[in-house]
Amino acid sequence: MLDPATGYLIVLGGALLFAGAAAHKLSGFGAFTDAFVAYGVLPEAWARRSAWLIPCLELALAAALAAGRGGRAQLGAAIGLLLFYASAVALNLARGRRDLDCGCGSRRNRRPIAAWMVWRNIILAAGLALAALPWSQRPLGLVDVLTVAGGLSAAALLYMSIDRLLGDIAPQALAMRVTP
Amino acid sequence: MTALAVSNVTLWVVVVALALALLAVVRQLGVLHERIAPVGALMLANGLKVGESAPRVEARDLEGRSLTLGAARAEERATLLVFVSPTCPVCKALLPILKSSLASERGWLDIILASDGEIAGQREFVRVQRLGEFPYIVSAPLGIAYQVSRLPFAALIDSQGVLRARGIVNSREHLESLFEAKRLGFGSIQDYFEAAAKRRAA
Repeated sequence: MLDPATGYLIVLGGALLFAGAAAHKLSGFGAFTDAFVAYGVLPEAWARRSAWLIPCLELALAAALAAGRGGRAQLGAAIGLLLFYASAVALNLARGRRDLDCGCGSRRNRRPIAAWMVWRNIILAAGLALAALPWSQRPLGLVDVLTVAGGLSAAALLYMSIDRLLGDIAPQALAMRVTP
Repeated sequence: MTALAVSNVTLWVVVVALALALLAVVRQLGVLHERIAPVGALMLANGLKVGESAPRVEARDLEGRSLTLGAARAEERATLLVFVSPTCPVCKALLPILKSSLASERGWLDIILASDGEIAGQREFVRVQRLGEFPYIVSAPLGIAYQVSRLPFAALIDSQGVLRARGIVNSREHLESLFEAKRLGFGSIQDYFEAAAKRRAA
């Protein structure tokens, strides 16, 4: 049984993640379209025409997760999308395209795909899957609001820190360490 | 219950503040990394261009061996030409670093010392500082050809005789930045930052 406070923390965290991802893609839509086409999971003409679907899907998922109490359908779709991203990155890593832009870095800083992105998505999907467990019934109070709000802020900040460490700083540190 | 709630509120405030501080530190780390990237040997604005052929100079070292600098070499080895002088204190501080680089970069790099002045003083310098393992050239034309204006000055020449990096070096970081510059394909720290600025603007 999952405590409802934990449950809300997970689904709202998922909603925040997808909303952030969608906002990010829409703010640099041209660059995202190029990155999406470059992934090569769809033929180029299709990919170019359907790129807008991805941020729309993410926004819809964010809204559905934020509104519901972790319904199976919403959670299933969110986990499916995360695993789809993981497999797209893994497929291109297997193809040896290690300099492909992930389409997830900041606009001025293109970021190549890496194995840790596959693991990140698998871990996020596993976290979301936890919310599919049955939730216990108990009335929620003010302290629970605090738990969810505090937990969400801390999780978001930690996610941004880890993302920056693995995405921007670790590759730079590695480049400086390798000797000729 | 009230005490528990207060404790809970305090803890959450602390956790979020810590997470914020962590994010700030990580961002600063990124900025620092960008700043210190190839801790640089300063390249003088004028003079030889990196990426062009190094001046070809024939010279003899103190042992009388003939050396040709700036020529393409049969083996895949680069040459680091370091200009020093017995009267330059910074050069003396650099010598132990050069000795350790000679050992650590043995696989791809030869280090040649060059100086200018009367031979007896140079021989004494080599003896006192134990520089026997380096070829040591005393030649004024060599310094002129490489446009050396201040010491200690280093020039890195690849196996094709192309100048890969050059600049004033007075620490291990500066010296290693020349190797780093060759590895990254940037001639100097200025080139690196210009390219980084262009990348950021794009």
